[in-house]
Amino acid sequence: MQSYLLANAESVVARARTGDPAALEALYRAFEVPVYNLARRICRTPEDAEDVLQETFFEICRSIGRYREEGSLWGWIRAIAASKALMRLRRNKYRETDELHDDVVGHRREDTHLRMDLEAALERLSETSRAVVWLHDVEGFTHEEIGELMGKTSSFSKSQLARAHARLRRWLGEEASA
Amino acid sequence: MSHLPMDSLLSLREPGREPGDAGAREHLDACPHCQAELDRLHQRIAHLKSLPALHPARDRWPAVAARVRGEARRRRLRLAGLVSLATAASVAVAVAVGRLSPPGPTVDPRQIQQFMEQSQALESALRQYDPESRVLDGRTAGIAQELEDRIAQVDRQLEMADLLQHQSREAQRLRLWRERVGLLDALVDVHVTRASNVGL
Repeated sequence: MQSYLLANAESVVARARTGDPAALEALYRAFEVPVYNLARRICRTPEDAEDVLQETFFEICRSIGRYREEGSLWGWIRAIAASKALMRLRRNKYRETDELHDDVVGHRREDTHLRMDLEAALERLSETSRAVVWLHDVEGFTHEEIGELMGKTSSFSKSQLARAHARLRRWLGEEASA
Repeated sequence: MSHLPMDSLLSLREPGREPGDAGAREHLDACPHCQAELDRLHQRIAHLKSLPALHPARDRWPAVAARVRGEARRRRLRLAGLVSLATAASVAVAVAVGRLSPPGPTVDPRQIQQFMEQSQALESALRQYDPESRVLDGRTAGIAQELEDRIAQVDRQLEMADLLQHQSREAQRLRLWRERVGLLDALVDVHVTRASNVGL
């Protein structure tokens, strides 16, 4: 995927800047899956993630002229995708499911040591926590960048990450006996 | 013995040093429990990174491309609007100058009428074909869009031609109506040729 684009990224970007439809489509084809993957890990539904994919590439097509090649192309695209995905979260204002469940059945769950696989546990996190985990641990955003994207502080990102990992550890049955 | 909380374990993974990291590192060196926790944290994150990539169910590129084309078209029309303003200014000057100039060649009004009728017939043929309800491939859609934009420009020029003095106006109108018929003819050709090529 990206290896293809990296081989001729400069030429594709240069052509995309002129509005060349084939070059814009080449960008889409090269980054469609990673953008969707990021969006899908953050958004609750596949439909939302597809909308984020579409919004992200529309923005890329509009603003490719502003890409300064100071960082990696994927870094630039990733920032747009993350911003669109978080915007979608704010718009939808999904209920924070794990917060609700923790209030109601949190202690019971700790007792039962319910084991889940990582996918299911990730899905169970609140949107905010899951977004922080994915952006920080997988996509490599810093806490400062995440805080900025979310309109919060870096401390907020750090504390969300710590809480999320504590939950994942518990849900995955990874707690060691002290 | 108290162990390192999750935020301390996480901060040990960060590239920069935070206040308290030295103490946490010292504890870690002496605590097998926290070493195991940190190891599990590393493994969990490695596992997260290796989760399978998720793929969209639908190809969203056609929708993106359509929006991009739509925006480019609106931009062109805005630009054409500015050009029209500039043209209108030139027309105003031409009107003033035309009053001082000798009259141009005489135009037979029946010629204009003939082009107007052809234009109407072609538009009627297009309406019957109903291109809006048909799916076009990207290249054909681009050509059709270009022709429609040019027809819109001719229409604006026709409106402005009414500002001209009679003889200049008729010559201008004849030229524009002729151009309009040519463009419409090409547009019909684009739709119908494509339709016959794919057996519609």
